[in-house]
Order: sequence, then structure tokens, then C-alpha cells
Amino acid sequence: MADSDTATLTRTDTSLDVPWSVLVFDDPVNLMGYVTYVLMKIFGYDEKKAAILMLQVHKQGRSIVWTGQREKAEFYVQQLQSHQLKSSLEKAE
Amino acid sequence: MKILPTLEGGLRIDTEDDGDWKLLQTITHDAVSCDEHLALRLGNLITDEQVAADWREYIIPDLEEAFHADLAHVASSIAAARVECGGGPGPLWITREDAFHWYGSLNQARLALEEIHQFGPSEDLSPMGIPPQSRNAFLRSQFYCAIQSLLLEHVMR
Repeated sequence: MADSDTATLTRTDTSLDVPWSVLVFDDPVNLMGYVTYVLMKIFGYDEKKAAILMLQVHKQGRSIVWTGQREKAEFYVQQLQSHQLKSSLEKAE
Repeated sequence: MKILPTLEGGLRIDTEDDGDWKLLQTITHDAVSCDEHLALRLGNLITDEQVAADWREYIIPDLEEAFHADLAHVASSIAAARVECGGGPGPLWITREDAFHWYGSLNQARLALEEIHQFGPSEDLSPMGIPPQSRNAFLRSQFYCAIQSLLLEHVMR
């Protein structure tokens, strides 16, 4: 059997990291003060910003509360759900 | 039943009779009254297929365990306090350290009742506007909400 050379083909595939949005949905159970409190606790927002986002959730039915890397978005949604807020993540438009 | 903030930053619930203890015990019963558990209902909000698969495998079991731990904590606090005063009048203390377990358990109970009875926003609702078969559940939900408001105002912030 003849020796054979091994050719290594390196393929580089580069794609841009698509940002993901963290969404919070309105529900008739979670108190507005609690939603504000949780947004401050998880994202470190000040009370004013957290209250604005909470009101968006309340009035518009949902709000994008954070956008960034997928892994971090998953972590934030896990945290929000552990506080029993209706939340999800989706690719940012 | 009377509920008051304490000087130590917690809440004190003073029960008057066995009926009050039974009412407190309904918190944990209501919390598990929905056919589909809360972690699964929250997980169903994840619409991306790849993320949803990870969620089912890793996150939902963790959340379910954490929610059960909250309920177990509250159930044992109520049971211990009830034994302490022989099922009659007596205090039940909620310390700062207990607050999240209590708030979470009350929330689980209210979310389950809402899922079953679909009350909707409660601001404009009166008990008389609720179908008779759901009226008791609505009143319990309002009672749980009142304790949550006290926890939020006096203990958690």
C-alpha cells in the first residue's frame, strides 16, 4: 500500500452574531410593582427605566426589555421565568 | 385573620380559628390545581424550536424544582405554626428570608387560579360579576393578592 499524503482542507465560515431580544408579556396576575422590582433586580435598571418598561408591558401587552447575545438572553429569560413573569426570547428584527 | 408588618421587617399573620389555618393551607393546594404545571406553561412561551428543545431538557425541570421548593417551604411553615398553637388562634411569622418563598407560592396559586378560571384584570371585577362556581376562587385570589401587596410594600423592598 502506497503512502498517501493527507490534505487538510480548512473551511472558514463566518457569520454575524444575530442579536436576540428578551420579551416580557402582560398578564393579569403579576403586580405592576413586582414587575418593576424584578426588572430592576435582574437587569440592574434604575426604577425609572424599569417602570417605563413595566408600563409598556401593561399597555402594549409586551415589551422588549433587553437585546444582545443569545446565551445572555436565555439566561435573562430563565431568570424572569424563575420570578414567574411571562417571558420569551426571539431573534431581533 | 389580621396581617401586620413587624418591626423586624417581616409580616405577622394572626389567625383566629381553624378556618383561618385551612384558608392558609389552600395557598399550596391552589398552586398545584392546574393540570399543566407552571414551569411548563412558561416554557410554552418559547417559540424558537432550537431554544424550546433546550428549555424542555434543562430549564423546565429546574424551574419546576424551584417552584416546588417554594411551596414545600410555605406548607411546612404553616403546618409548624398551626401545630404550635393547636389549630386555634395564633401567629404565623413571615421573615425577610421567607418573603420570596411566600411571594412565589402566592403567585403560583394566583397564576393557577387565573389559568383555570380566566378572571382577567381584577381592577374592574366585583365578586358578583363572577360565575358562582368561580366566586370562591376569585376571593381567594384577591386574598392572596392582598398578602403579596403587603410583602412587596413592607418586606421585599
